[in-house]
Amino acid sequence: MSVELATRLIDVLGALLLFTMLLILAAGQLFRAIYAVAAQAVFLGIAGAVLAAATGNVDLWVIAGITILAKAMLLPWLLIRVVRRLQIAREIEPVIPSHVTFTIAAGIVVLAFHLNASLGSVRQAITGNALPVGLTLILIGVLVMASRRKALVQMVGLFASENGIFFTAMAISQGMPLIIEIGIVLDVVLGALVMGILVLRVRSSVDTDIADLESLKG
Amino acid sequence: MGGTGQIAKAVAQAGLIVLLGPLVTGFVQKLKARLQCRQGASVLQPYRDLSKLLRKGTVQSDSASPFFRAIPVLVLAATVTAAALLPVLWAPAQPATLPLGDAILLIALLALARFLLAIGALDAGGAFGGMGASREMTVGLLVEPALMLAVFSIAVSVGTTDVGMLAARRETLTLAWQAPDLLALFAMLILMLAETGRIPVDNPDTHLELTMLHEGMLLEHSGPGLACIVLATHTKQLVTLTLVAALFLPLGLARGTAPAEIALATAAFAGKVLVLATFLGLVESSYAKLRFFRVPQFLGLGLVCAFLALALRIL
Repeated sequence: MSVELATRLIDVLGALLLFTMLLILAAGQLFRAIYAVAAQAVFLGIAGAVLAAATGNVDLWVIAGITILAKAMLLPWLLIRVVRRLQIAREIEPVIPSHVTFTIAAGIVVLAFHLNASLGSVRQAITGNALPVGLTLILIGVLVMASRRKALVQMVGLFASENGIFFTAMAISQGMPLIIEIGIVLDVVLGALVMGILVLRVRSSVDTDIADLESLKG
Repeated sequence: MGGTGQIAKAVAQAGLIVLLGPLVTGFVQKLKARLQCRQGASVLQPYRDLSKLLRKGTVQSDSASPFFRAIPVLVLAATVTAAALLPVLWAPAQPATLPLGDAILLIALLALARFLLAIGALDAGGAFGGMGASREMTVGLLVEPALMLAVFSIAVSVGTTDVGMLAARRETLTLAWQAPDLLALFAMLILMLAETGRIPVDNPDTHLELTMLHEGMLLEHSGPGLACIVLATHTKQLVTLTLVAALFLPLGLARGTAPAEIALATAAFAGKVLVLATFLGLVESSYAKLRFFRVPQFLGLGLVCAFLALALRIL
C-alpha cells in the first residue's frame, strides 16, 4: 500500500472516529453509546491494519486484531451484559445541557487542531492528521466521563479515551511495542470487569447513583 | 456559453424539479407503505391531491389580512427560484457569464420561504398556526447555520460558492474524498431529514395538532393556495436532495446539449435522487419521531459535524 493512500485512509478513518465520538456524546440511550464505542474500536482496528500494511510492521497487525477482538467485541458485550443485569433506565441524564457539551466538544477540536501546528515535529508524516484526532478523542472521552451521571456511560467515556490514546500512539510512534499494547488491553479488560462488578455490587447492596456519592465528601 | 442558453438551462432544470417533486414524495410514501406491509397509494397520488386542491374553492379566516392570499404564491416562487440555482442535469464548464446566484442565495431563498410560511400562519390568527410557526422557526434556527457551515466546508476546498461550479469541480475529485467531506456528508444527511420535514424531526403524515410542525402552518390555507404550498413543500424536498447530490455525488452531469449526454445525466440524476429518497424512507420507517425538546440535541449533532468539517478543512 502506498504512503499517500495510507495517509488518506487514516485521515478518513480519523473523521469516522470523530463522528463516532460525537455519537457517544450525543447518545440519549445507553445502548447507542455502547454501540458507538464498539464502532469506534472497529475503525481504530482498521486504522491499525492500514498502518501495518503501509509500514510492514508485523506487530501492528497483531495489535489491530487484538483491538477489534477485545475492544469492539469483548468490552461492549460485557457492558451490555451489565446493563441487562442492572435493568436500569436506558436514558442517559447529562449533568450539563447537551448544547453546552457540544460547544465544549467543538472547542476541544479547534484546540487540538490548533496545537497540532506546534506539535508538528513529533508526529509521523504517514499518519496525517491522526495526532489532533487522537488528542480530541482523549479529551472528549474525559468530557463524557465528567458530564454524565451514570457509571456505565462514564465507563464508555473511559474506553473512548483509551481509543484516543491508542490513536495518538499510532500518530507519534507508529504504535507502541506489542508487549505494552497487550498489557494495556489486558488492563482495560480487567478494569472493565472490576468496574462492572463494582457497579453491580453498589447497585445491589445500597441501590445508589454515582451522583449520590457526592454527599460522602467530608 | 451565452446568457440565454444559461437561463434556458436554469428554467428547464427548475421545471424538472417542480415536476418531479411530487413524484419523490409519492415514492417515499409508497416505500413506507410497502415496509409496513401495506399496498399503499400509487406513486402518482401527490399529483392527484394537487389537481384536486386546484379545483377547490378558497376559504379564508376573517382575521387574515389581504397579504395572506399572496403568501402561497410567494412561497412557491421562492422555492422554485432556489431550484433554478441547482445543477440538476448540467454543470457549467466555466464560471457563468451571468451569475444567477450561489449556494448562499439558495439557502437564503429557502429561509425566505420558511419565513413567509410562518408569517402566513401567524397572520391567519389560528392557535395551531402560531404553534407550528414557532416550532418551524426553532428548527430553522438550528438547520440554517449548520447547512451554511456544511456548504462552506465544501466551498472552501473548491474555492467557489456557486453550486454548479462546486459540482463541476468536485466531479473531477470524486475519488479523492477527504476526511472533512465525510463529516460534512454526515451533517448533510442529518440536516436533510430536518429540512425535508421528516421523522425524526417532523412527521409529514401527522394531522394531530399537538405534534405538527410544518403541517400546522398549512391549516389555514385552502384550495389553490394550499396546492401552491404543498407543491412548494414537494419542490423544497427535491431541492434539498439535489443539493446533497450536487455536493457529494456530482457524477454524470452533462456539459453540452447532446441527447446522449442529457440521457446519461437524467439517468444519473434519477439514480442519485432514488438513493437519497430511499434513505429518507428507511429512516422514517425505522425511527420514532423525537420529542420536540430532543430535536435541538439531534440537530446539534449535525451542527457540530458541519462545524468540525469546516474546522478540519481550515485548520
